[in-house]
Amino acid sequence: MVPDKLDGVSASHDHPADPSRRRLLAGLLTAYTASLIPWALAQPAPHADRGAFTALSALLVGRQALDAAQATRLYDALATASPHFPADVQALLTLINERHIDPLQLQGVLDGEHSPLAPLPRSIMSAWTLGVVGSGENARCVAYETALDAVIVADVLKPPTYAYGAYGSWTGKPS
Amino acid sequence: MNASTCCLLLLGLLATASVHAADSTDAALLQRGQYLATAGDCVACHTAPAGKPFAGGLTVPTPIGNIIATNITPSATAGIGHYTEQQFSDALRKGIRADGKRLYPAMPYTAYAQITDDDVHALYAYFMHDVAPVDSKPAPTRLPFPFNIRLSMAAWNLLFLDSKPFAPDPGKSADWNRGAYLVRGLAHCSTCHTPRNLLMAEQSSRELAGGAVGTWLAPNITSDANSSIGGWSEEDLVDYLKLGHARGKAQAAGPMAEAVEHSLQHLEPADLQAIATYLKTVPARHDPADIQAVDSWGAAFDGVAEQRGTPFPDDAEKWSGAQLYDAHCASCHQARGEGSFDGGLPPLFHNTATGRARADNLVLVILEGIHWTDASGVHMPAFANDLSDQQIATLANYLTRHYGNPAATVDAARVGVLRAGGAPSHLVALARLALAVIALLIVLVIVLRVRRRRRRASAGRA
Amino acid sequence: MSAELSADIVVIGAGIVGALAAQRLARQGASVLILEAGPRLERARVVAAFRNSPFKGNWMAPYPPSPWAPHPIYVPQDNGYLKQAGPYPYPAEYIRAVGGTTWHWAAQAWRLVPNDVRIKSLYGVGVDWPLSYEELDPWYQEAEELLGVAGADNTGSPRQHPFPMAPVAEPWSMRRVRERLAPAYPVVANTVARNSRGYDGRPACVGNNSCQPICPVNAQYLGINAVEAAEAAGAKVIPNAVVYRIEHDVKGHIAAVHYYAPDKSEHRVTGTTFILAANGVESPKLLLLSASDTYPNGLANRSGMVGRHLMDHPSTSLTFYADEELWLGRGPQSPSSINTLRDGAFRSQHAPYRLDFTNISQVLNVTNDLIKEGVYGAEFEKQLRWRAARQINVKNVLEVLPNPDNRITLSAEKDAMGIPKPEAHYAIDDYTRRAAEVSKADFARIAELMGGTGLRYSADGQFANNQHITGTMSMGNDPATSVVDAFGRTHDHENLFVCSTGVMPTAATMNSTLTGVALALRTAEHILPAKNSHAATAHVGHETSLA
Repeated sequence: MVPDKLDGVSASHDHPADPSRRRLLAGLLTAYTASLIPWALAQPAPHADRGAFTALSALLVGRQALDAAQATRLYDALATASPHFPADVQALLTLINERHIDPLQLQGVLDGEHSPLAPLPRSIMSAWTLGVVGSGENARCVAYETALDAVIVADVLKPPTYAYGAYGSWTGKPS
Repeated sequence: MNASTCCLLLLGLLATASVHAADSTDAALLQRGQYLATAGDCVACHTAPAGKPFAGGLTVPTPIGNIIATNITPSATAGIGHYTEQQFSDALRKGIRADGKRLYPAMPYTAYAQITDDDVHALYAYFMHDVAPVDSKPAPTRLPFPFNIRLSMAAWNLLFLDSKPFAPDPGKSADWNRGAYLVRGLAHCSTCHTPRNLLMAEQSSRELAGGAVGTWLAPNITSDANSSIGGWSEEDLVDYLKLGHARGKAQAAGPMAEAVEHSLQHLEPADLQAIATYLKTVPARHDPADIQAVDSWGAAFDGVAEQRGTPFPDDAEKWSGAQLYDAHCASCHQARGEGSFDGGLPPLFHNTATGRARADNLVLVILEGIHWTDASGVHMPAFANDLSDQQIATLANYLTRHYGNPAATVDAARVGVLRAGGAPSHLVALARLALAVIALLIVLVIVLRVRRRRRRASAGRA
Repeated sequence: MSAELSADIVVIGAGIVGALAAQRLARQGASVLILEAGPRLERARVVAAFRNSPFKGNWMAPYPPSPWAPHPIYVPQDNGYLKQAGPYPYPAEYIRAVGGTTWHWAAQAWRLVPNDVRIKSLYGVGVDWPLSYEELDPWYQEAEELLGVAGADNTGSPRQHPFPMAPVAEPWSMRRVRERLAPAYPVVANTVARNSRGYDGRPACVGNNSCQPICPVNAQYLGINAVEAAEAAGAKVIPNAVVYRIEHDVKGHIAAVHYYAPDKSEHRVTGTTFILAANGVESPKLLLLSASDTYPNGLANRSGMVGRHLMDHPSTSLTFYADEELWLGRGPQSPSSINTLRDGAFRSQHAPYRLDFTNISQVLNVTNDLIKEGVYGAEFEKQLRWRAARQINVKNVLEVLPNPDNRITLSAEKDAMGIPKPEAHYAIDDYTRRAAEVSKADFARIAELMGGTGLRYSADGQFANNQHITGTMSMGNDPATSVVDAFGRTHDHENLFVCSTGVMPTAATMNSTLTGVALALRTAEHILPAKNSHAATAHVGHETSLA
């Protein structure tokens, strides 16, 4: 049902939104990657670079949904911090598409091959899960309460500085 | 045991004995009197902050000036120790002091008029025997002219005082009648919650339709579903009166928090239930501005996410509503205004604090916070010292826009007025103006007569 | 030069210790001026700065140094303010701002144990204090009532009067640790300046789990509360006043202090009595800076002891996964510890220690670990939840002994105002290292009792620092071996007092703030006895500087 390869994957430049032909994220994926993030297939991807970022993000963080506004903010911050970020994202997505790399093995594969793309997964993970883009002096906070490390445990914990509850509400077993 | 301890013990025994000798009042009566005094919240006005119970001294601001609560301990020199039960009853239910002078209706004798003779008897016993006498007199009340003439209250009473005690409605349940008795009488809910006319008398035709107490809006508590508590369950009402909040609906702040802390939370469950039963039957008064229930506005909203990573302006006056919310409110009410897991830190949507058509109470609770005097202490911090009028206006508008009734907006000037304790009352000015107009008319008449006389005189000369 | 300022009491440093001494003196009617090198901060801005910071694990991040009053910063990189002479690094952290370093403390407000002040007599190590625990007790009590301290009685520190507040409600995680470690280790509630009910107009804790770097709701007592109390009592605070010299007269009395405003304009402040309360690093720096012809080694330094005997609390730790869900991060950060190893005959052989459990949310650390390990895909979320629910950490808090070679000196390097930076000379001796080794057995036993897996000990020979700066202006009866007397008065200058954790002659095993505050209140009483205070009768006959 999902073609092995679509034109979107090879696109290395931005496509303007085309209302007559609605581009979907599915178009950027192979059967292998599509099977990892089935929820994302119907997501609109009018912009190839942003679409590739969403697809790669979904593969890396392994969630069943990603917030579109957050994706826009993170992409903007990452692309501003590194001019070749969009091209790197396309390249890494292509790599995963073609070689069927398990996200859990990805970092090991890139490190083992001394790939120039090796820092990329960590910078995307850092953006989504910690809300931090860049490192050292150039580090920037772009999300906190909506960073995935907060969202993933939001049923049990509030992010630090946010009150757990009225005095003593923390004495019971977390449910 | 040493000699001094012996003496102390002996003194103690003698003191106890003398009380018993002087009065055979039984403990149950005194206990009931104490309960009724609590229900009447006498302590709220008749005790100064950190002062001795019932020794008076609290300044009650009213539209006609500050009224200073009197000492109602059984001190013969400074309090009401010399009052007979009849005199006590007259003060309580008719607003007439032992010396025959009139009380100002800051004392809710128009409500207390409903109290039964039996209950007056129990209250009298309690005040005379169980309250510790305090022999110091607070400063007297000095109102501006013309209100310093207490006799004027006699005319006022003639117009507005219904001095008949509560008569149960045989057509209603005992529960309802008990509730009506408490609400209209001792609990004097109408004192704040019933609107008043130009002469400061409660408009009985608009019972509990919403009034004012100082700068605070005392909301409509009739059975209207939108403007009031018509949509609340009786359980919600009991919770509110018992705990000071009803989850997902409202929290008591300002004078209502005091009423809950000092009076309502101490009432027996059956009495709270009775009050709830009665309130649910008070004829609905609808404000057309309330197009939906005041506790149904708003939804979770995240205004902080999009400004993450953006440095705050150095000048805090320029902080946006989201930034003010982030720095000052979100720590408890959370980034999306959803409150804590347990609801103990309340959500800001579906909350009367943000859902009213006027933002005054919201501004006031930001300014003053919610402080109880018991161990629970600060229920919400006050921000009067941390936030400027402009900041509070920006913040309040952010809150009503996203979490509450967006029609409720406020500007810095209004915050300033509320911070200062409200707009100066026009009543004194009006009363004086009326007198001045009369005086002017008299002068005019005299001038005209003199002129006429002069004209005549000059005409005579011509 | 602008018009001179003057006051009965001039306090240098607006931290919790100096400010509480100031409030006590102001309440007695003295005019009090507090000079603070750093700026005035607002809680709301600190909260916002934390949330907007990319370095949430670094508690200095919301407190950037001001150009005119720098303080040490290590993340993202060392700003080079506190120079390191070695051999072991001493990466002290402190905040130069109105309110001082307790802006971001964990509010652990411990008393010493009685034997802490007699370790020379009892165990043949360190030095004895010039006063007894019993003499400290009423000052601890006064400090605890000012701060609003909540605590349990079973921590080894006796007391005459009850704590102002009951212990703070125990988080579920700590309850499980307590239950599973009993009876091998008694886990008790920490003694903390954190409200377990409304106290002094401040609310009860609501579990923001950010005691460090900032309590957003004012449920934890901070130095800024002390400053506000001092101001309410009539003291005046001048922020951004960088004191660079203390001036003495021909008799050796202190006549004035000199400070720079941020524009480097010079100002002189005269007074009757001077209190140096600028922490254990900046205070000795200032004494050394104020050298003159008469005092070529700096003020209060005829003994040569100013800046020496630098102590802190090094820690080693164990991190592991418990075999049940604990979910650290619900409730306050530092709720519980083991206090049975704070004293014993072993002190002649190795350092005593306290074992401290953290309740800090593990989410940030676990996320960093997972990214480092390259755990991506569906496994990331699964692992994050599993680890964040189970990860737990225990650390020791080790005593170090006073050693004159561990010291703060003036660096040849200068800060932006042209003032020499402080330089740390530090080593961790075998007495402390032996205790670290001994405590590893406790760590292992604790992990075993918690069904621990994935045990990660801190690297051998690596110690974390706890920012409990002590010893650099030690008190003692002998002017040849100490800087101040038992009341905090410098041996060399009759009207110069030191209020600081720096006067503690030994570090013991407890966070030093409460002891610093208690000693400062005692100093304030000595300077100007309170009318009707418990101490007034105890100290009748002592002269006062204001007499």
